[in-house]
Amino acid sequence: MPLLVSDAIVLHAFDYLESSRILRLATREGGVRSALAKGARRSQRRFGSALDLFAQGSAQLSTRTGRDLDTLAGFDVVASRAALAEDLGRFAGASAIAELVLHFQSDHADPALFDALAATLDAIAAAPPSRAVDAALAGAWRVIGALGFAPALAECAECNAPLDDEAPALFTHAAGGLLCERCARLAPGGRRMPGEARRALQAWSRGGEADPLDAPAARAHLRLLREFLLHHVVDGRPLRAFELWERQSTGSGA
Amino acid sequence: MSAIDDLATEFAKLPGIGRKTALRLTYHLLKQPAEQSRRLAQTLLTMGERVRPCERCYNLTEDVLCAVCRDPRRDQAVVCVVEEASDIGAIERAGEYRGVYHVLGGRLSPLDGVGPEDLTVARLVERVRGGGVREVIVATNPSLEGEATALLVRRELAGAGEVAVTRIALGLPVGGDLEYADGVTIARALTARRAM
Ligand SMILES: [Zn+2]
Ligand SMILES: [Zn+2]
Repeated sequence: MPLLVSDAIVLHAFDYLESSRILRLATREGGVRSALAKGARRSQRRFGSALDLFAQGSAQLSTRTGRDLDTLAGFDVVASRAALAEDLGRFAGASAIAELVLHFQSDHADPALFDALAATLDAIAAAPPSRAVDAALAGAWRVIGALGFAPALAECAECNAPLDDEAPALFTHAAGGLLCERCARLAPGGRRMPGEARRALQAWSRGGEADPLDAPAARAHLRLLREFLLHHVVDGRPLRAFELWERQSTGSGA
Repeated sequence: MSAIDDLATEFAKLPGIGRKTALRLTYHLLKQPAEQSRRLAQTLLTMGERVRPCERCYNLTEDVLCAVCRDPRRDQAVVCVVEEASDIGAIERAGEYRGVYHVLGGRLSPLDGVGPEDLTVARLVERVRGGGVREVIVATNPSLEGEATALLVRRELAGAGEVAVTRIALGLPVGGDLEYADGVTIARALTARRAM
């Protein structure tokens, strides 16, 4: 069995059989993969604390062509990211990011996506609780950019005319970004985005930071991101972690 | 062949049973006397009818209250919060704990669609508000999801009155499973619990 050794991040883990776990891993060298960790629940000797959610390390995976499930031969943990469990906003945001990566998964190596994911989880873990939603929003757009879905923000998504940075502009999911005044008149639907929201989106897509969001701005950004994801998740799978994150961040429900 | 297929399909829905094992179990039953299958079917029916969650703590029971809640020697003022009813067995085997329990019915797991309202936290808060509880020991698993769940319990109990909320000590291996910890480890984790 060929052995794949790669940097990996645990995105999801669930129990399997008596004492094993199945992990969904984002790897730098092999895309998103599923791996069986035999005896992971019973014995700590083999994998230690490595198999916790959002942990990052060097994974040794036994792969077999034509099989979807690898076997985890070892995992040397580098970062555990326990801080993501020290605040419910951080935990919910990081879970939504993991879900995003799992939704658009492929088993092709994508170092840029892997690095965007790692940097995003680190940023959420380091964010003060009041800014956890900003960090996760920024990370989501950064990951979307790495996935190749970045929306058009500097120029019109239809006619490529350059856009004035300050003026509000119409964002439509159908066009995949902002529209100039002329194209906006012809487009049905869409949301008007104030200049500040546009600048935040632009900064986040480049991996940068924006000014702190107040509650209404965070709500609007969460709604925009949800609509964007639903538009691109073609098979209509539910975004369960995203919904919980949005509910938690906007204070509706728990 | 549809009866065989039907049973194999049902077996294959059980955790850890693949199609091959499901067929093996089915053929095994076919070779046994009919009485054996009848007993199995009856046991399954009875279980489904009789076993239900305890009205106070959500442990599994055949009565209104579970054996722990009914036991007059247990200290009703100390409540140990666990993820699953199966965790109670592990703590009971350790033989040290004299309080009662509260089963959350899982842990926060957004990717599996499990949020705060899918757990019995609100019922725990009600129970504490009802009075007579001095300490709540949070014994969710020492995993990232278990820690987040502990945080949720702590937060929800903040407005529930005068109650000490403690967390079991992490003598338990991180990422491990309470169900698989040995008695000594569990007893030590309980004794060395700290305020949250
Ligand atoms: Zn245009
Ligand atoms: Zn009970």
